[in-house]
Amino acid sequence: MRMNKPDHDTFRDWLYLEADGELPPERRPRLAEHVASCPECQAEGRELARMAEVFARERLPVRDDFRTGVLAALPATGWEARHPRAWRLPVAVFVLLAALAFALPWMAASGRPADASLVGVGAAVLGLVRAAAAAGLGLLGASWKSMGLVVAELFASRLVLGVFAVLVVSLDLLLLALLRARRAAAPDVARRQEARGGSSGSPPGPSSGSR
Amino acid sequence: MTRDAEQATDEELVAAVLGGDRERFGELIERYQGRLVNYLFRLLRNADDAHDMAQEVFVKVYQVLDRYDPQYRFSTWLFRVAQNAAIDQIRRRRLKVVSLQQEDGLGESHDWELPSGDRGPYGQLRNRERGDAIQQAIDALPWEYRELILLRHMAELAYEEIARLKEMPLGTVKNKLFRGRQMLKEKLRDFITD
Repeated sequence: MRMNKPDHDTFRDWLYLEADGELPPERRPRLAEHVASCPECQAEGRELARMAEVFARERLPVRDDFRTGVLAALPATGWEARHPRAWRLPVAVFVLLAALAFALPWMAASGRPADASLVGVGAAVLGLVRAAAAAGLGLLGASWKSMGLVVAELFASRLVLGVFAVLVVSLDLLLLALLRARRAAAPDVARRQEARGGSSGSPPGPSSGSR
Repeated sequence: MTRDAEQATDEELVAAVLGGDRERFGELIERYQGRLVNYLFRLLRNADDAHDMAQEVFVKVYQVLDRYDPQYRFSTWLFRVAQNAAIDQIRRRRLKVVSLQQEDGLGESHDWELPSGDRGPYGQLRNRERGDAIQQAIDALPWEYRELILLRHMAELAYEEIARLKEMPLGTVKNKLFRGRQMLKEKLRDFITD
């Protein structure tokens, strides 16, 4: 939209926009032309500039150790663990070991490498890794199997299942009773605090500027 | 700081942090710490609280950095988190509050509350008269103008960012900033007139 002859109020709006760096560049020459011939806008422009100066002078300095303090306070986050870089190294090591596991026995069989002892050592290490992996998988399978057996045992006998159910329900009821007791106690504490605050004539809570 | 670091945009820095370079978050802190602390200082009126909350805000943002949507500006997101945190803190404070219930032009009332103006050691060292005049002038503004003035002058957000943060039309932001600044000028006349 093209504005042929903006009025004084419009130029004043532009003055504020210019002070914030929000005036489109094509309007700046027309504003400058108006301000040059308008004492009121000149005074307003000076006031705006001074106000910005006053705000700038009154800025609170940030503590020197703020940045390091924040960096030190950063916790380990969920997304860091999920991030590619977090699993890049383990994956690279796994791929390397897998490649060696396939390559070394083949090389040993074909008799290509000059240093057969090195191949032997590598193959032995890989054999060890494979054995460890197999043992780990075995343990995992065994633990799952054990859990399956426990569950199967639980459901096999009605008596055991009944005892288990009673135990679960009792624990739930106990938990509920504890929660109710805590909730019931909360208003009493609040009332006592309120009563203390009222008798001393001062409102409760910490002072905002006390630290 | 390297030339590359100086030129990196917020979005590039976020991407670098998400790429595993945790230290680049320090550049984001450096970039926004002054604006964030000052914005919170004018809302909370206490230098120590402002620093503490600014730290909390950075930590909070870092914790959910993977949810940052690069189609929005990082600054908009940061100051939205900061504003929410400040309002929560203000609401929690029940001591020495000054009710700021104001009715806006649409007849809606806002029950924002702020603590009274105690100053920490920082404030005592500064020019009390001018500093207090600014704080009083800001406090005297109705909340709807004050929040925009602080987002503009302390957070140094562009109009468009403020509009996005406050979910207001751009024209409304311009209008409110214009009116808010006129009110401020009146209050600070002794400090800014010839």
